Amino acid sequence: MKKSRSKGLLVGLMFILPNVLGFGAFILVPLLMSFGMAFTDWDFLRHNMFRDEPLNFVGFENFVRLFTHPQFWHYLGNTFFLMLGLPFAIAGSLGAALLLTRAGQAKHQIKPVMILATLIMIGSGLGLLQGGMAENGVWFFFGLLTAITLVAGVLTGGSVYRTLFYLPNFTAGVATFVLWKKLYHPDTGPINQGVAPLLDGLAAWINQMPGAFGYGLPLVAGIVMVLVVGWQLRRLRRAWDLSEAGLVALVAGTVAIVVPVGLMLGWFGLSASAAVAGSTAGLVGFVGLTARRLRPWGIPKPADKGLGTEVALAMLLIPGLLILAGAMVVGPSLPAAAMAGLSAPDWLGDYHWAKPALMMMMLWAAIGSNNMILYLAGLSSISPELYEAADMDGATPRQRFWHITWPQLAPVTFFISIMSVIHGLQGGFEMARTMTLGGPAGATTTLSYFIYIEGFETGRIGYASAVAWVLFALVFVLSIFNFRYGNRHVQD
Amino acid sequence: MKSLFLVVTLALVIMSALLHWTAPDRASPVPVLYWVTQDDEVKRETIELFKQWLHDHGHPPVDVRLDNSNSDQTKKITQGLAGVGADLFDVYPFQKDLFSSSGMFLDVTDVAKERGFSPEASYPALKQEILFEGRQYGFPRNTGGAVFWLNTETFARYGIPEPSFRWTWDEFEKLGTAFVTAANPPGTRNRSYFVQSVPLIMLRRSLGLSIFNETMTKATLDDPRNAELMRRYLRWVNELHLMPTVAEQTAMAASSSRPGDGFFYLFATGRYAMLNLPRWALIRLRPLGKLSMRIVEPFHGGFPNMDFSCGLISVYAASKHPEAATRFLEFLASERFNLLVARSGDSLPPIPKYVQSEAFLRPPDHPEEWAIQEAFSKMGPELGIGYSRSPFVALGTVFRVESKISQAVVAGRLSPEEAGRQEEEELNAEIALTIRVDEKMRQRHEALTKIQVQIDQRRALGQKVPLAWITNPFYRVYYQAQGWLEEAPAS
Repeated sequence: MKKSRSKGLLVGLMFILPNVLGFGAFILVPLLMSFGMAFTDWDFLRHNMFRDEPLNFVGFENFVRLFTHPQFWHYLGNTFFLMLGLPFAIAGSLGAALLLTRAGQAKHQIKPVMILATLIMIGSGLGLLQGGMAENGVWFFFGLLTAITLVAGVLTGGSVYRTLFYLPNFTAGVATFVLWKKLYHPDTGPINQGVAPLLDGLAAWINQMPGAFGYGLPLVAGIVMVLVVGWQLRRLRRAWDLSEAGLVALVAGTVAIVVPVGLMLGWFGLSASAAVAGSTAGLVGFVGLTARRLRPWGIPKPADKGLGTEVALAMLLIPGLLILAGAMVVGPSLPAAAMAGLSAPDWLGDYHWAKPALMMMMLWAAIGSNNMILYLAGLSSISPELYEAADMDGATPRQRFWHITWPQLAPVTFFISIMSVIHGLQGGFEMARTMTLGGPAGATTTLSYFIYIEGFETGRIGYASAVAWVLFALVFVLSIFNFRYGNRHVQD
Repeated sequence: MKSLFLVVTLALVIMSALLHWTAPDRASPVPVLYWVTQDDEVKRETIELFKQWLHDHGHPPVDVRLDNSNSDQTKKITQGLAGVGADLFDVYPFQKDLFSSSGMFLDVTDVAKERGFSPEASYPALKQEILFEGRQYGFPRNTGGAVFWLNTETFARYGIPEPSFRWTWDEFEKLGTAFVTAANPPGTRNRSYFVQSVPLIMLRRSLGLSIFNETMTKATLDDPRNAELMRRYLRWVNELHLMPTVAEQTAMAASSSRPGDGFFYLFATGRYAMLNLPRWALIRLRPLGKLSMRIVEPFHGGFPNMDFSCGLISVYAASKHPEAATRFLEFLASERFNLLVARSGDSLPPIPKYVQSEAFLRPPDHPEEWAIQEAFSKMGPELGIGYSRSPFVALGTVFRVESKISQAVVAGRLSPEEAGRQEEEELNAEIALTIRVDEKMRQRHEALTKIQVQIDQRRALGQKVPLAWITNPFYRVYYQAQGWLEEAPAS
């Protein structure tokens, strides 16, 4: 019996041996070596099989140099900027999964969808026949495509939708990037061909408006901004009063509105120091005023309570508020710009558009990624009894989502957010290498691209290893943060 | 399960053995050289000619196979330093110093002198492009610099006068503005451009300024002349739209199957009035039909000049067949190879005398090119200056920083004045790092800096300087042209 067990163990080990050997040779050993290299002056031009110069231990010099290297902070900023799209990507995956689940269930809604799709198809087909693919033809083409997809999806009970949504995930990365590069072409790209008629129409419409129109957009954006800021401040106070947020969470939540407002002040011509001073005063003022309000039961809670929620919300609020701030800044000059004709963006060539352009592409890829599959699996594992009970209690769809779906999906969301943050920090190299070469002016150079430049362009492998380990430390810290603050519902 | 495991193991072992025994090297009765390069007609013809040449000269036969899947810089350096590189490498100008300094190429200095393919066999201006630290690690397969190609039909279509053979940047701006105004309907986005790009390094030199100082110990770009250049460049791209932005260029490149193909098509159809490219552009232009073309010198800001460099072929230091691979370099100096370069429309042949050959000057199938070839035969050797290669910073890094800074100017992130300052800072930081970690380099930098101090003192007093003090190839030519040298250069 014992002999048979040890024999079984041996066979088992033999089975996993190739994998263990591969892991050791191609992952573990290089990993340990790179850690050692980070503390040396290893330069492959001087230390290689053809040159035998001694390798020197330089302690933390590579790390000190890294943190004093202005380009490092620029590229770190780029990496974090691109990661701002993650919450939207996760939300998009969840939305796609919810829609796909509904598409599979809502058999009774086939008729109206079929009627709508047929109408779109006929309209788009006629439009294409009349005008061809030039100018507005792009919209008719997309209309036709959408209608066909709708019909096919409805007829196959959602299988077509699932396949289409998952398509980006099994398309080779570089091929996708080349495709998007063509889509973003400033002159011949379908995106600009689609946008150009809209912008022409918008310009014509703005030109017909009275001169005061230029202040309308900033006014609306300003009102929305005030409402969003007010909502956030009210929510923070409430969370503080109910002991759902500690002091650190309160600060994080306030920073989420102070950062865009501070940037906006800078855009409006306020000096950088004045903008920073004003923003800091606002931050300290609100936090101070809120913090000194006594909690109803006067028991101090952990300072970091609710931090995960505030950070997640901040990642949604900051881009939203920045867009509104941008509208406030751009608004007054809009009539003059419309007079000259509004031109579609030079997506990959403009310093300010390059990062958002890459983010949009990443969003497209992320919505239909493995995240969506994980959410689909998560949704199918939620017990129908929970929804039935909610229905019996008269819950609205919104309540069903927030009180059943969202908490039940918490473990999936937690896993997805951890993996997304890791991929977000490590990613960006292939995309930037293929589409922008890290430009324009370094706008799309991420840390992983920086490692490539230092490692293979200058040969400073020791320094490149140090960058890689700093990247690892960032991933580690953010993962710990996620574990600490992002899994509240999981623990519940 | 155990049986399955054994069967899979056995199958893997058998398949590995089969793969090993059927490898191309084993199937060939003669030594096989692997050449990392692009796979095209000219390369295949080169191999055939090399085999004939070996046979005719009584050398042992060799087979050469193209490897176009490992031509990326990362793969070259990684495989080369791991001991599994190809036998022959195509080496581009920005790779030469990086690869040579790593020791991965065979030093052919002595054998090249013996067999007639030393730098002296090629153009004098290319000596520093071929050598690294005074040693030879390869031989050019083609040479040359970028000129301006004119589609004369396009100029005629819009009634724009053609530039003269030697022209200034003021003329460029004037003609370019007239062209884009005539070629682009008012109120529309620019779709026709005067040229696809302009070489900033050459233009800077035309103002008497180089990226590095005379001894190449320091970047010297915080200079009013550089600011003026960047101001002009900004105006040409953003205001006058004489050329597309970098992104528009790359987007066009993405629309074609081969890099740069978009340019040639747009040039042939009149959307680019000019192209700024070396002679190899003929390889891409010939299939587009018999275009009416001229070439003119690169325009200048006072001191006419042209970048002049070469693509080398180097032998891998750990090659299994170093003798056969070295013969390949010897072949590059032969008549057969040089005539192939001449008739194929590639850049200039590596041996200067073949630029005067009939095959070069009057290709029988292309009489429409004869005037162009005549101009090429004079322009490169007369105007060409090699790159300013500082031993303290890789040329690839210089190109990257230069590109990043010019993009930042176009994007409005840096003013023309800030651009020079920042580029100088970044390059000097690279130099500082190199001399901090490499003791030999530090000593060399100190010695050269002492010479630089002497140069600066003499120039401040208006005195002449010995040529031997100057290592920057641009200043060697510029000082001579200005009469600032103590003695005339030997060649």
